[in-house]
Amino acid sequence: MPPLFLAILLALPLSLSAAGACAQAETPIVVVAGEGSAIPALSKEQAEQLYLGRASTLLGGTPVSLADLPPGATRDRFYAGLTGKNPSQIRAHWSRMVFTGRALPPREVADAEQLRSLLAADPNLIGYLPAAAANDHLKILLRLP
Amino acid sequence: MSIDLLRRVGRFVLLAMLAIALPTFAAQANAPLVQVSGFATLGAVTTDRDDVWFTRYGVNYPGDSDPDFSPDSLLGLQASLRLSAYNDITVQALVREDGEESYDPRVTLAFFRQTLASGLSMRLGRLRVPFFMLSDSLHVNYANPWVRPPVEVYGLNPFNDLDGVDLVYHTRLGALDAELHPYFGRGRVPFPMGSARLKATWGMNVALSRGDFSLHLGHGDGRFAMERGDPQTRAVIAALVRAGLPGVAADLSGTDGTTSFDSVGVQWDDGAWQVVSEYARRRVNRYATSSSGWYVSVGRRFGPVTPYAVVARQRLDEQIAEAAVPRGLQPAWDAFLTSRNNAQRSFTLGTRWDVTSFAAMKAEVTHARLDDDSWGSYFPRAMRGGAAIAGKRMNTFSLSLDLTF
Repeated sequence: MPPLFLAILLALPLSLSAAGACAQAETPIVVVAGEGSAIPALSKEQAEQLYLGRASTLLGGTPVSLADLPPGATRDRFYAGLTGKNPSQIRAHWSRMVFTGRALPPREVADAEQLRSLLAADPNLIGYLPAAAANDHLKILLRLP
Repeated sequence: MSIDLLRRVGRFVLLAMLAIALPTFAAQANAPLVQVSGFATLGAVTTDRDDVWFTRYGVNYPGDSDPDFSPDSLLGLQASLRLSAYNDITVQALVREDGEESYDPRVTLAFFRQTLASGLSMRLGRLRVPFFMLSDSLHVNYANPWVRPPVEVYGLNPFNDLDGVDLVYHTRLGALDAELHPYFGRGRVPFPMGSARLKATWGMNVALSRGDFSLHLGHGDGRFAMERGDPQTRAVIAALVRAGLPGVAADLSGTDGTTSFDSVGVQWDDGAWQVVSEYARRRVNRYATSSSGWYVSVGRRFGPVTPYAVVARQRLDEQIAEAAVPRGLQPAWDAFLTSRNNAQRSFTLGTRWDVTSFAAMKAEVTHARLDDDSWGSYFPRAMRGGAAIAGKRMNTFSLSLDLTF
């Protein structure tokens, strides 16, 4: 067992990285709510507090729930732009927040289309999209470069 | 592979299938108010010696298969029901071996949460004991860089549950993010032929973070009971009473102790380098040792692969009880104290590999040296001559797969 084990241990760092689908110049990402939502424009700091699970209401007491896109490039760019954290940091952070019972996990939507219809139905929900995928029925709360 | 090992792996696979089926069912039922999620670890541990088991005192029962799946393997399922925008109910159940060798599912979280103001919430019910920096995510192995948080520090707190109330308050202090976390409650942990109970316990944690850096400060105080019913303790107690030392005997097991836990921890994570370090101290007036521990861990991400190194130490600050025992009783007394002391030093090299967005594989080797009067985080396979493991060096190999879903 130990020799096999050592072999695995040594092999892991060598089996390196298919990683780093490099971030090209892409369309900016916007944080959005439904057009009827009372949620006001957010500062980057406010949006970061919400998307790190540190707050679930705005200062005036308005409750906010979160939507997440499925794992992928847009989601990774969103969290990197908002919080400066890479995907594995974000996953570790959120699993700690959820399984210690500190915060409810964001609701994962299938795609931008499902997000738009959920935002239209729930005025307290916020989400994020590539700016190009936003439309007139969405209220832009924050624009990330 | 023994039949018993097969049985255990089979049970684990069955539970894992259940865990995968449940969220699927929830999704089909299209009940957006209930969120189901979970975490799991399949972990195997072995050592280079055939006279010891690696064990996490108060967490698992010393093994009976080699490699041993019981120190790390677990499955946790969690469901949250949002009642309104301001309150919710969360329930978490955990299946893993406990200190009594039982795999019965345990409720590890069951609380009602009310948001009181922006950033301020109150939770009422069953919470996890948050004595140290990573205590409340101790079993969420995916969230931690290592196979398990260092036993030199986390072995100081065997408690799991806190049945009570807490407040979690997030605020900004200038450029700092602050989390204030006062708590009050009680809890119980079983171990072979005995149990430990926290009675009225209160504490306060403060976490300050700024960018890549965070600082944790924690203090908890409680009254505590530790009732030992194992033959060794009963024999030592009887001998102490016969020797005219009933006061010493009363310090080994009972319901009238006080304890406190302190910890200071730091984390630095800039996306490439990951540094985690913590010092923690347990003070107990009787029934258990007063001990302290620390670790320093440094990891470096290379894409999905993060090799890490950890140095850790637990030392004995004060014995369970001090006594000048009759010469004839000295060997039994020393053996008793040695078997209740977990002091050791260790050096660990390991690697985490983020296989996919929901799975991480980890492998690590720990070289430990037990103090001369300690069993460290190990348990002798044969009780006869068990003290022979004190002071020894041993290598422990751990392999694990962590999932979140």
